[in-house]
Amino acid sequence: MSAVTALKRVFDWKVRGLRWVEIIGLVLVAAMIFSVYLAKAGAASESVRIASLERQITENGQRVRLLRAESARLEQPGRLEALSRGAGLGPVDVHRRATEASLPELAPIPEPAPVVIVSPTVAPTPADAAPAPAEVAQ
Amino acid sequence: MSVHDPQAWDRPAPGHAGFKLPSWRWLAEAMWAIEHSFGRARADARPEEDTRVRIFVILSLFSAVFVCLAIGAANAALLAPRGGVGSISHPNAVSRADLVDRNGALLATNVVHYGLYIDPDEVWDRRAAAVQIKRVLPRVSMAKLNRILSGHRRLIVMPGLTPGERAGVHALALGGVSFEPEDRRVYPLGSSATHVLGTADTGGQGIAGAELAFDADIRAAGLRGENVPLSIDLRVQGVLENELAAAAMETQAKGAVGIIADVQTGEILGMASWPTTDRLNRAVSAHYEMGSVFKTFTVAAGLDTGQADMNTRFDASQAFMIGNRRITDFHATNQVLTLEEVYLHSSNIGTSRLAVEMGPTVMRDYFGRFGLLDAAPIELHESARPRRPTRWDDSTLASLSFGYGIMITPAQMSAAMGALTNGGRFIPLTLRRGGRPGAEARQVVSPETSLTLLDLLRRNVVRGSGGRAEAPGLRVGGKTGSANKLVNGRYDPTHAVGTFVAVFPADGPVNAKRYSILILIDEPGTYPRTGGFVAAPAVGRIAERIAPFLGVQRRADPYRTALGDKIPVFEDVEGDGR
Repeated sequence: MSAVTALKRVFDWKVRGLRWVEIIGLVLVAAMIFSVYLAKAGAASESVRIASLERQITENGQRVRLLRAESARLEQPGRLEALSRGAGLGPVDVHRRATEASLPELAPIPEPAPVVIVSPTVAPTPADAAPAPAEVAQ
Repeated sequence: MSVHDPQAWDRPAPGHAGFKLPSWRWLAEAMWAIEHSFGRARADARPEEDTRVRIFVILSLFSAVFVCLAIGAANAALLAPRGGVGSISHPNAVSRADLVDRNGALLATNVVHYGLYIDPDEVWDRRAAAVQIKRVLPRVSMAKLNRILSGHRRLIVMPGLTPGERAGVHALALGGVSFEPEDRRVYPLGSSATHVLGTADTGGQGIAGAELAFDADIRAAGLRGENVPLSIDLRVQGVLENELAAAAMETQAKGAVGIIADVQTGEILGMASWPTTDRLNRAVSAHYEMGSVFKTFTVAAGLDTGQADMNTRFDASQAFMIGNRRITDFHATNQVLTLEEVYLHSSNIGTSRLAVEMGPTVMRDYFGRFGLLDAAPIELHESARPRRPTRWDDSTLASLSFGYGIMITPAQMSAAMGALTNGGRFIPLTLRRGGRPGAEARQVVSPETSLTLLDLLRRNVVRGSGGRAEAPGLRVGGKTGSANKLVNGRYDPTHAVGTFVAVFPADGPVNAKRYSILILIDEPGTYPRTGGFVAAPAVGRIAERIAPFLGVQRRADPYRTALGDKIPVFEDVEGDGR
């Protein structure tokens, strides 16, 4: 019973003839309206961005298609074969093919060359190297 | 308490004289009538029609409307479909999806083209404009250009400008010239795979080839922005086309067909029809009597029924007479041959005798099993039905046994050879990558028969008529076919068809990776016109070139080394009369 009384007191709590409950309600409604406005405005700007990105994707996609088509045209098997034949290329004879495993057999790894100690050479001085550009300039 | 004067209900509405229009007058009168009704209610001592009741009614109405709106808004906000934000269609959506080969290489695509429009009223110097446009766009009709330029309406001059042409016209900086985008189907490979791909019309409707066969799939994939992969391998297709064209030109042929398929899955890896300028896809639409290739099926039927084995002997020492018809051999041996020798020497007499022994029921059954009596099961709508014999008497059976009296399409032959060399399962040919979904293989001969035939095909290349198809280390097996065409009611030897049907590698178990190659040369102009000379060399070259793409390793088999050299010991064993 006291709860009802307390509730009624809260309900009847007024300032300048206006119930606080109503003032709070109004403030909440205003806040909600404002937040909905913000959310909507945000969504609108996002959808504009999405549309612009999608347009970009479509444009890029079309460009990619065009380039793919162009590369496919240049890689036509008939064209490639004509070009290779023109350059003197052709299928390799089976006797001239080798697998990776048979490489050592075909070209044995050379023995490491014996280490020969040579007499130290004199490094060229900057003075020796300098005239070269001058000769070129003449 | 009402703000209205209760005594004023019968007063005329104020401002009544101000409204001249009848509709306004009617509205004002209606409103005043409502107002007065409250006054009347109070006067009649009916307080339930008082102002409070009126306010309550209006409040209720507004509340109901707002509740409805709130429910609607909540529903729209919370239960909106997923992905509803942004546009609904895929950004890369096109009317028709790109066709790609099994490895993703582009075969057909949509490229935005432009229609060229001119509004003559905005063109300053019409004569100069016409000359300039003609210079950058030579294919435009000058007459049409002049007609539009001398008019007064914006009209289309030419559809289908490529982006390059558009840039050229745009660079002229002419007034009154505008472009409108249009989606066009382009085939960047030109004549490559043209018969397989077919065409789509400008309305985006497939009208031939894969474009027609997979029309619905291509449209659906286009909306999703995906590609449609075909089973063909562009590398294999390229080799096939190049070698086929080379063979056809070398033999001065009228036409040529090549089909390469995976015998285990039925996938077509390459399909070519020469000349490419001819719209007819000879691989699926043209009929040929293919000659001796059919001996393979006759022998297979004989082995599978148990009617014969490899050592069964057939008398080929003299012509085989059926009524008045005399059947002879092209390469007459004039001796009694085993079934193997019948096959390797391509003896008409031997296979005729075998076919007649088996009888029409068995022959018809086996030809039906190999799909020789029905259109090739492939997605292409162009797949034609064979020309079948009407009577199945002994003479017909003899003809059928060596490939006369029945005209089939090369695709049928490819499917039948696949069935013979994959363990006896007839698998429908397909242009879909990964095989046809839900396709059921039909067992047509036993795996043992298939293995025997594989060995026989290999021997035919090593020792028989298919020697020119040998590719070192790739174990090619195959059968030649040579037939004369019926010209004015007679089989004319100058109008021949030379065929070679091969599989490689021919060794290994029945379910090993294996590919079939069919080359058919239509009316070769050079002599000899037999399949062993006109078609077999192309098969060898093709096998050699496509093996690396298909992952077939060079390997020795009982007949040849990996480098294609003879293995003499085994040849001696053969010479002992095995």
